[in-house]
Amino acid sequence: MKPSVAKLIETKREIISEDWLKKVEEVRREHHLENISDHVYTNTNKEFVEIILNAVGQGQESCDEQLSGFTERLIQLGWPLSYLTRGLQTFRKVILDTLFEDQEGKGDFEIYYEVESWVDEIVNTLVNEYSGSWENTVFLQKMALKELSAPLIPVFEHISVMPLIGTIDTERAKLIMENLLNGVIEHRSQVVLIDITGVPVVDTMVANHIIQASEAVRLVGADCILVGIRPEIAQTIVNLGIDLSKFPTKSTLKKGIASALEMTQKKIVKIEN
Amino acid sequence: MSQTCVEVRSEWSIVAARQAGRTIAKEVGFGSVDQARITTAISELARNIYLYAKVGEICIEKVVEANKVGVKVSASDNGPGIKDLRRVMEDGYTTSGGLGAGLPGVKRLMDEFLIDSKEGEGTKIHAVKWLR
Amino acid sequence: MRIPILKLKEYLLVSVQIELDDQTALQFQEDILNKIHEEGSRGVVIDLTSVDFIDSFIAKVLGDVVDMSNLMGAKVVLTGIQPAVAITLVDMGILMHGVPTALDLEQGLEKLQQELEG
Repeated sequence: MKPSVAKLIETKREIISEDWLKKVEEVRREHHLENISDHVYTNTNKEFVEIILNAVGQGQESCDEQLSGFTERLIQLGWPLSYLTRGLQTFRKVILDTLFEDQEGKGDFEIYYEVESWVDEIVNTLVNEYSGSWENTVFLQKMALKELSAPLIPVFEHISVMPLIGTIDTERAKLIMENLLNGVIEHRSQVVLIDITGVPVVDTMVANHIIQASEAVRLVGADCILVGIRPEIAQTIVNLGIDLSKFPTKSTLKKGIASALEMTQKKIVKIEN
Repeated sequence: MSQTCVEVRSEWSIVAARQAGRTIAKEVGFGSVDQARITTAISELARNIYLYAKVGEICIEKVVEANKVGVKVSASDNGPGIKDLRRVMEDGYTTSGGLGAGLPGVKRLMDEFLIDSKEGEGTKIHAVKWLR
Repeated sequence: MRIPILKLKEYLLVSVQIELDDQTALQFQEDILNKIHEEGSRGVVIDLTSVDFIDSFIAKVLGDVVDMSNLMGAKVVLTGIQPAVAITLVDMGILMHGVPTALDLEQGLEKLQQELEG
């Protein structure tokens, strides 16, 4: 920043900061931050304006460090990014208004240019911090979802169950398929029960993934039974015209296990004393 | 970027092309399922060249884009070309007595699929599989 | 290159241990049919555990072997198809309906026995 502009800002520092704190109150209401206590709210805002104004004296680099530390805390507190960008827009207005006030048009363009690039830099840092944190969250959730993905559980000799829970997208379907086939070979399963009790929606895509999985299971040399078909799922399947007729289905896991036992020539007998 | 090309002239070159493909797919870091997908796609493309154009070339290379890596397979020949592109992309359509799963199959096995063919001039196919 | 075909009582056992090129696959088709004819076999198990990919041509040859053997009175079971191979086949839309499968040689033989008895 040009020393002349920096000096000007420095002399008006108090006015700018007070004016901003007043104007930013309007933004607060729009972003539902009223439930944050006034004390915390005011302090955070004060800190924010301090950090930004410090950049003028200390230079961009040391400000960046403070700013990213500050942003990290805001992210944890759950302050929306839109509040901060709106706040900075207000800030830019306040600072330009204040600086232009007694310039009488002299060097307006220079001031405008300097302030503009200064505020832009801060917006960039903020957005980077926020989006970095979002990417991180998405990555962690993806990992968590992967861990949730469908284990194959051997229940009897040659009989295994795969409970599916949650929404199935293409990525997950691929993973489920690989787990399923590797599990079938590992446990030498002859019959696999795929339980869709926990799948909220079965549309054509999900049904297709399940049909493909069962075809692949048949190719490696085992049979599939689809269980856990709730009434509403049965309705949607038929309404969508999905053909599951080639595919043995049962309403509950219990019935599925009964027919799996039959298929592997087993039965459960009660011990008589 | 390294590129491996195999000239397709005989049935043996089909084997050579898919072996080259498997090697590169492994190097790029694909798992066993995607290795099989890529190998199978190459086999289908190479066989098409051998069956219809007699002579052609299969090139396999590692591709890098923004934040992903993958394997690109290019097949080119100066054979008779394909008369009806839409029909060859239909399941079960065959002129050779095969299963008719070849080209539509390749399209499903890979993530990207581009085909360009002019009757009497030849066929060019590009297919890419991205590492998940 | 030829794929060895073993005889076990009234069955034939085949384990494909090499990468199948077109010529080998067709040769195998011929050999197995001749062998069924010579030995009067009632069942065939083709084990594909070491096969790491099957394209549409080989799938067609295998499907044909099953149909042709059935015509000659021998049931065929394919065993040991690897997950990667199965997924690739399903992706391509090659479902090989009507081809009996089993996990491994042992279960394949059991399946043949069941089919022949039942």
